[in-house]
Amino acid sequence: MKNVLIINNISKNYGRIKAVRNLSLDIPEGSVFGILGPNGSGKTTTLGIILDVINATSGTYEWFSNYKKKENRQKIGSTLETPAFYPYMTGVQNLKIVADTKNIGYDNIDNVLREVGLAERKDYKYRTYSLGMKQRLAVASALLCDPQVMVLDEPTNGLDPQGIAEIRDVIKKASGKGKTVILASHLLDEVQKVCTHFAVLNFGQIIYYGEVNDVSGEKQVVEVGSEDTGRLEKIINKYSGVLKYEKEDEKIVVTLDTDKSVSDLSKFLFDNNIMPTHLVVQKKSLEQQFLDILNGSK
Amino acid sequence: MKRIIRIELLKIRSNGTFWTLTGIYFLILLTIFFSGKFFLDFLAKQEESISNIVDPSRIPIYEFPDVWHNLTCVAGFLKFILAIYVIISITNEVSYGTLRQNIMNGLSRWDFLVSKLFLVFLLSLASAIFVLLAGFVLGFLYSGTRDLHDIITYMEFIPAYMLQVSAYLLFALFIGVLIKRTGLAMGLLFLYTLIIEPIIVLRIKTEWIKGLLPLKAINNLIRLPFKKYILREVQDYIAWDDLIIVCIYIIILTLAIYLILRKRDL
Repeated sequence: MKNVLIINNISKNYGRIKAVRNLSLDIPEGSVFGILGPNGSGKTTTLGIILDVINATSGTYEWFSNYKKKENRQKIGSTLETPAFYPYMTGVQNLKIVADTKNIGYDNIDNVLREVGLAERKDYKYRTYSLGMKQRLAVASALLCDPQVMVLDEPTNGLDPQGIAEIRDVIKKASGKGKTVILASHLLDEVQKVCTHFAVLNFGQIIYYGEVNDVSGEKQVVEVGSEDTGRLEKIINKYSGVLKYEKEDEKIVVTLDTDKSVSDLSKFLFDNNIMPTHLVVQKKSLEQQFLDILNGSK
Repeated sequence: MKRIIRIELLKIRSNGTFWTLTGIYFLILLTIFFSGKFFLDFLAKQEESISNIVDPSRIPIYEFPDVWHNLTCVAGFLKFILAIYVIISITNEVSYGTLRQNIMNGLSRWDFLVSKLFLVFLLSLASAIFVLLAGFVLGFLYSGTRDLHDIITYMEFIPAYMLQVSAYLLFALFIGVLIKRTGLAMGLLFLYTLIIEPIIVLRIKTEWIKGLLPLKAINNLIRLPFKKYILREVQDYIAWDDLIIVCIYIIILTLAIYLILRKRDL
């Protein structure tokens, strides 16, 4: 697959603080790429660099395999940190300015306002908007040029659950049309629901990179209990598909190898004449894994 | 280019501060221009010391072609009002985050600078046209001559005035870009205009070095004309060396603003 963006060894220092350290990343075309990380991990700095508004201390990046910075930015819909608009102008007037900066006509303005649910308030001044509406206008401005790539920095910040779901639909729709979306977020649930790929950042470094499916389809963890825990433990110890197990109260928590499923385990137990009285699959959420990844990096 | 101009016009059009400030500016200009005659009549009655030398009520301030020099010089004192708007305009772009967003959306830093240079150009053009119209009206009202040669003789003061206002507004733009905060930038502009540079001017002995200071250079373009009415000699023309220094400042300030935008993280 082609990459829309190749980041090559980027670093950014603010005085003695290293906000981004030797970060390299490829963003595949058509992916929804989540950049995860705790506050201050360098997400916004990284996005600022690839959008040409923060100067990297060292390193290079390349959009669409060319170095035409201005033309490339016109083809990218982007938001960074908080929505940035002129408070004394209406939603429509603000989007006209966006259209002019992107060198496109005004035809699409009504469409994108409708898409983010702002059509009724489009002629109100921006300063009268709630945080959620400001965030929607930011997403609308990112959609305006029908961009090949969208870069969204925490797009659901300040939105209510319904708004979050709507923005998620907008992202899914864009992705369905083959567009690439780069999404910075600390909401793991959000990333899990919409992203195809993700990277975890901490202290300005990438500490994990992969596809979302890899993670959710990783090793399974099963709680097993039986009347004779001692015997159960001995049997499980013999099972080749077990990576590790530990005793918790009267139960045994088993981590299975990736190629083994829960039914493999229960079949093995039956074959060894053990009737489990308790068999629960612990669903490992992305959140748990995220925390594991962060802890593992320390 | 058309697009960049349209962006700045969109920003101006719905901005209440712009209309309020420029409204106040032109109202004050109008008041001062048209009250000159009444002021001199008033002086004639009050100030005996002056009336000993010359009768103020008979000073021909609106006489063609002197009216161009007189009006442009007086109007020059009010350019700080336009500078306030220039500072508000640029510092708001920083605090709203719209400077950054404009660049992210696809303006180059140079495009953005050009849009603000257009603002500077527009304000000084409007002011110059206003002074030109006021000069015609007042000249035809009060001047004793209608001779075409007399009317157009000193008219080069109008483009020189426009250059003077542009240079000062560019200086304000530079301070706005440098300081980023509205209040601080305005404070520094006035501190520099009213205190810092005057003190430096006092300290410097050599006349031509004084003329190299930015605001001194800008103001030197149009010298005070009024001493001629007490029969002193004044520079009643636009000097080439004054013009060149101002043009050099315009280039330096433009490049300095561009470099700041280029090097700074937005």
